[in-house]
Amino acid sequence: MMGRACLRALVLTGVVLHPASARAQSATDLATTTRGPATQLTPQPGSAGLPTPIDPASCSKSDGDWAERALIRSQVPQLGLPPMPHPDDNPPTAAKIELGRKLFFDRRLSINKTMSCAMCHVPEQAFTTWKLQSAVGVEGRSVKRNSPTLLNVGFLNPLFHDGRDETLETQFIAPLVARNEMANPSAGWVVSFLNRDSTYHARFQGAFGAPASLDRMGQALAAYQRSLLAGNAPFDRWHYGGEADALSPAQKRGFELFTGKADCAGCHPIGDDHALFTDQAFHDTGYGFLREEMRQNPPETTRVQLAPGVFVDVDFDRVASVSSKREADLGRYEITEDPADRWKFRTPGLRNVAMTGPYMHDGGFNTLREVLDFYNEGGPGHPEQSPLVYPLGLSDAELGDLEAFLESLTSPNLNCLAAEARSQPPDNH
Amino acid sequence: MKRREFGGMAVSALALTAMPFSVSADETCQSPYMPMITGHEEYVYIWTLGVEGMGDEQDKMVTVDLRPNSDTRGQVINSVSVGGRNEAHHAGFNSDRRYLWAGGLDTNRIFIFDVHSDPSKPSLHKTIDSFVKDSGGCVGPHTFFALPGRMMITGLSNDEDHGGRTALVEYNDDGEYVATYWMPTADDMQGAVAADGAVADGYGYDVRALIRKNIMLTSSFTGWSNYMMDFGQMLGDAEAMKRFGGTMVQWDLHTRQPKKVFSVPGAPLEVRFPWGPNANYAFSTTALTSKLWLIYEDDAGEWQAKAVADIGNPADIPLPVDISLAADDQTLWINSFMDGTTRLFDVSDPHNPKQIYEKKIASQVNMVSQSWDGERVYYTSSLLGNWDKKGADDAQYLKAYKWNGSELVDDFEIDFYEAQLGRAHLMRFGSAALYS
Repeated sequence: MMGRACLRALVLTGVVLHPASARAQSATDLATTTRGPATQLTPQPGSAGLPTPIDPASCSKSDGDWAERALIRSQVPQLGLPPMPHPDDNPPTAAKIELGRKLFFDRRLSINKTMSCAMCHVPEQAFTTWKLQSAVGVEGRSVKRNSPTLLNVGFLNPLFHDGRDETLETQFIAPLVARNEMANPSAGWVVSFLNRDSTYHARFQGAFGAPASLDRMGQALAAYQRSLLAGNAPFDRWHYGGEADALSPAQKRGFELFTGKADCAGCHPIGDDHALFTDQAFHDTGYGFLREEMRQNPPETTRVQLAPGVFVDVDFDRVASVSSKREADLGRYEITEDPADRWKFRTPGLRNVAMTGPYMHDGGFNTLREVLDFYNEGGPGHPEQSPLVYPLGLSDAELGDLEAFLESLTSPNLNCLAAEARSQPPDNH
Repeated sequence: MKRREFGGMAVSALALTAMPFSVSADETCQSPYMPMITGHEEYVYIWTLGVEGMGDEQDKMVTVDLRPNSDTRGQVINSVSVGGRNEAHHAGFNSDRRYLWAGGLDTNRIFIFDVHSDPSKPSLHKTIDSFVKDSGGCVGPHTFFALPGRMMITGLSNDEDHGGRTALVEYNDDGEYVATYWMPTADDMQGAVAADGAVADGYGYDVRALIRKNIMLTSSFTGWSNYMMDFGQMLGDAEAMKRFGGTMVQWDLHTRQPKKVFSVPGAPLEVRFPWGPNANYAFSTTALTSKLWLIYEDDAGEWQAKAVADIGNPADIPLPVDISLAADDQTLWINSFMDGTTRLFDVSDPHNPKQIYEKKIASQVNMVSQSWDGERVYYTSSLLGNWDKKGADDAQYLKAYKWNGSELVDDFEIDFYEAQLGRAHLMRFGSAALYS
């Protein structure tokens, strides 16, 4: 066990409080839903706060059949992305994509009709949620993991932070019946509902020529999610497209650090003709161990924001009086039960990372700089920690360049993906 | 204002409502459009959250007998379960006080209870389960404020991201949807102006009206993700803690148009207008910053907002929750959840409130309701299902006291866990005299 003082020192290096003004914060927050005038989709370089909201209304491609556009997108590689690997038994069609979108946003597909996939994977928040470190499910039940972005999820194998599933065709079953997510009594119960609903009956017939089934539900959801592709970022235009001015000097310096001194590319590789920025492997970076230490040895106080710019340090006992016991998170071990897999988590892709905070498997870091600080420190250094994580000795300026590089990975079409997602309102009963 | 002045005001209110009731006793924080109860309150209806593993696990409307000479006074005499755990929260009578509308903040279901056919035994008259669809995406029906023939309902969230942007939703007394009024935001002020640089956040919580000034006020709390999640988890989630309302909005009552947005940081919750004929102000309290706020009309006829007192030690986050303004407008009960304490403020000078009494009710306390004469004060315990204290501190109760002018004297209490009922939340008084 790590000493408490040592632990606290490490934690403090990762905690950056943002003296954001009330006005800036409120304005950011309120613009994260679609009910409001257009807002530009522009990441704020160097911003220590939240990204600029993604506004579906700013997408100019509002005419025509969005599902046809999505189908083409899932079949034609974007700059910087590899071809999407579609399973042989589930080729994409516009009808499947359209059905998958409807299923994705249907709040009726939970036991009390309050949760859909989209309540934790919000289109205007890059198909994750910026508003919570870790997710909240049916009846407010706690989920110990951060909602991962679904942008480019079709390239991931395995899925989930702990890799518990390997294909999108089957992945959806876990949240559908998990007691702390959508809490359906069974997958079959959901299928029965779909077959009783006349609209779904027609949609399944149109997409598959057959009624709803668990397999077809998975195929439709997978087809939709494989259309959530976002490449063509400034980095892609610079690195793969030959646009010399697509990156700023700071971003170019950040790239050199990313692939050099900082050695980020060791786990977030960049290929010759495309880059997913993940090795799809599991690593013990020390972060999971650190969080378990914090769970077992909580800090004496918790800094709580009461209002913009107003903070207090609340004694642990007071926080504990209103806290349920938080579960341990052993990462990949929970799937394999191999002690060697304790605290290992799948390497996340970094595309659009500036738009997908909070970060890490439990959302414990709110900003990219906190993440960079953690890796620059080299992790807690416990015996099982991966040798790939070690003190980097990066200066503040170098950390700033790395952050600037990460911001160059934001794609220009997130607003249009959100617009497609909002082509119809969520289904409610 | 003195109590004797209030008598005239009550009569005026009754005349306005044109209802065949002749009394002057009621809880003090109801819609002025509804009739008053004759004499002593006879029943208290308690909207109660079901708890997994306890009793029938469902939300329920619990009726407790308050009749002075009843053999069952201070006892549960009826309970109507509604199915499921809906995050039972607030409830309000319609304008003729024959029906009690009760909402579920989680499932968005609205349960309309018939309280006039047998006031000792409410029955479920109708369930609205299409609130989100009707309203175009509003989530979390909270306050039910009676307007003539209509029910104005505040939302807390929305169906797009379960954040705090939300709306006012209007139904008629038959339970039919009428209209949705989205809260103004900085991006879409809908004609409202921002006072002193306030940034409209679009959040909602409570609604109250001052009819003679044609003013409606709304306050702001937080979205589904926060009010449904574990309280301790939320306190440790820096992103979640950024998502609390910090505004109040002045509306034109008749046109339902927002007029002015005030900056009231720290989640302003309950809104209470006084009854006095010249009392042009309202109180609210901020849950997180623990302050008492005054929203008032200034000498120039402009409405303003300012903090006028601390509630406990704000650094300890007492978490002020429900408030109850006496019918004579002279005193204000303020409960704070975290320290389980009720405080009485002298608000005879609304610009300079002074705390004059405090008492710890239990390990936690939420709602407070007082009789119209102020002599009986009732407390319940639950704030939100996942915000209530854990373990032994999770006391769930109805506690009744008598206020003798200087202290609260124990009357009776019911342990809602021992009775296998659940978490006791909102109270509303009933009486057969209303319908005789």
